[in-house]
Amino acid sequence: MDFKKDFPIFGKRDLVYLDSAATAQKPQAVLDAITEYYTHFNSNIHRGPNFLSEEATVAYEDARRVTADFIHAENKHEIIFTRNTTESINLVARSLESQFQKGDEILLSKLEHHSNIVPWLQLSEKTGVNIKYIPIDSEGRLEFAEELINEKTRLVAITAMNNSLAVMPELEPIIKVAHSKNALVLVDVAQSIVHQEVDVQKLGVDFIVFSGHKIYGPTGIGVLWGRTELLEQMEPFLGGGSMINEVFEDHFTPAGLPEKFEAGTPNIAGAIGLKAALQYVLDIGYSKIHKYEKELTEYLLGKLTSMPYVEIIGPKDLKNRGSLVSFGIEGVHPHDIAEGLSQQNIVIRAGHHCNQVLMDHYGLPGTARISLALYNTEEDIDKAVKTLEETHKYFN
Amino acid sequence: MDIYAQNILDRYKEPHYKDKEFSAEITHKEANHSCGDVIETSITPKEAYGFSGQGCAISMASADMLGDLTEDMDENEILKIAKADVFEMLGIDISLRRSKCALLALLALQNGILEKRGEKLKTWTDYHI
Ligand SMILES: Cc1ncc(COP(=O)(O)O)c(C=O)c1O
Repeated sequence: MDFKKDFPIFGKRDLVYLDSAATAQKPQAVLDAITEYYTHFNSNIHRGPNFLSEEATVAYEDARRVTADFIHAENKHEIIFTRNTTESINLVARSLESQFQKGDEILLSKLEHHSNIVPWLQLSEKTGVNIKYIPIDSEGRLEFAEELINEKTRLVAITAMNNSLAVMPELEPIIKVAHSKNALVLVDVAQSIVHQEVDVQKLGVDFIVFSGHKIYGPTGIGVLWGRTELLEQMEPFLGGGSMINEVFEDHFTPAGLPEKFEAGTPNIAGAIGLKAALQYVLDIGYSKIHKYEKELTEYLLGKLTSMPYVEIIGPKDLKNRGSLVSFGIEGVHPHDIAEGLSQQNIVIRAGHHCNQVLMDHYGLPGTARISLALYNTEEDIDKAVKTLEETHKYFN
Repeated sequence: MDIYAQNILDRYKEPHYKDKEFSAEITHKEANHSCGDVIETSITPKEAYGFSGQGCAISMASADMLGDLTEDMDENEILKIAKADVFEMLGIDISLRRSKCALLALLALQNGILEKRGEKLKTWTDYHI
């Protein structure tokens, strides 16, 4: 399987890219779609009765339809285009604010990315809601207990895949208990959606958030999916053009869904690029993706486990995990690991990965992280492993 | 493989001033939260210098070499040390991504003095990074 050829960056430079959890590379199809928009029908949408705006509007709204179908959403107006996962979560937190009271509880997990912690902390500062966390065990697996959700719990916000340990928590039991207590459930699929299908009907959740750039799409386009009745009750997020129905000197009436939450000129090219990315994934198919990435992850885990000075942080098996591995090397700081690889044109991430709560739990300043995508090969892993061996030797 | 120049590696592996115990006039800690590095510098100007903490090879080597650089300096001279002086001291090209690693110890050292004087502490923007 050669997916690498679909991604022009690999033809342009000598590059081993093992940092797809930060952002994925873009296939030619995505680049073509963006260029096609800017060179053939660039214009603003929903504004003005002319053929050019019509073409742009049709393309933008078609991207919304494809996105809705991609996650099996019932209605396309339930897809709100944002800048990224972070903005999607902020939108929910801000727009729900008036519905929260002092003493209400929000349940997160220790696996959350900063983007699924800080907006809730901000909400807590404003409204006095209490933030609680589902604890984790030594491998980073959730230790969920029903008692964590009670009558005061108004919302559970949780990741479908953690970005430093690769843990994919079992969501069903949490969603079940949350709904039995009438709590809303938001699932952050920013990491998981590039590896595993998201079906909002089957999951039975209330909000889904993700970023285009981690699923082979462009930066600057993100998605919020929410159930219609919830989105309708929520207050608008940003104010301005497009999100209004009527504006008077002293008041305004908001537009309906989805425009209510899309103030100003949106990222039209981004939405069109995202559509191409989602179609790229659909064309290959999740089962093929899953099989290939699983093989690669197994290969990587095998190599790292065989190096006695490498410590894998997080689960060491393939059960409920995504295709990334965090690790440390005896006597070598994570930054120095990344620097050594960087000098061989191998890109990985080192640091706390926006998971400071999780790193504090382990008492670690950070880790080195290799994350894999479709375009990676065993040869990529071999090159990285060889450099890791040399790096260890160099420092010890 | 040659990730860093030999002088950096040597000072990282065998530092001269790390975890030196003495009762210092000025002690101050700074952290680089983006990578988790923490350095605490201790100094009695013109008498003794030491540091503790954890970090990458560049941050640790830089903290160690600052002991030599500041050996005969008074407080005002230490406050005048600039980014360029530290980069020159290290003797290697410092990329943008490693600038904070290289300067963390200087930040701690200078902010210790500023704190003692009740003056406004420096931030990364003061080093133009
Ligand atoms: C699990 C998870 N959630 C949220 C985010 C935030 O995504 P973005 O920076 O695109 O908003 C990330 C990005 O690293 C992530 O891994």
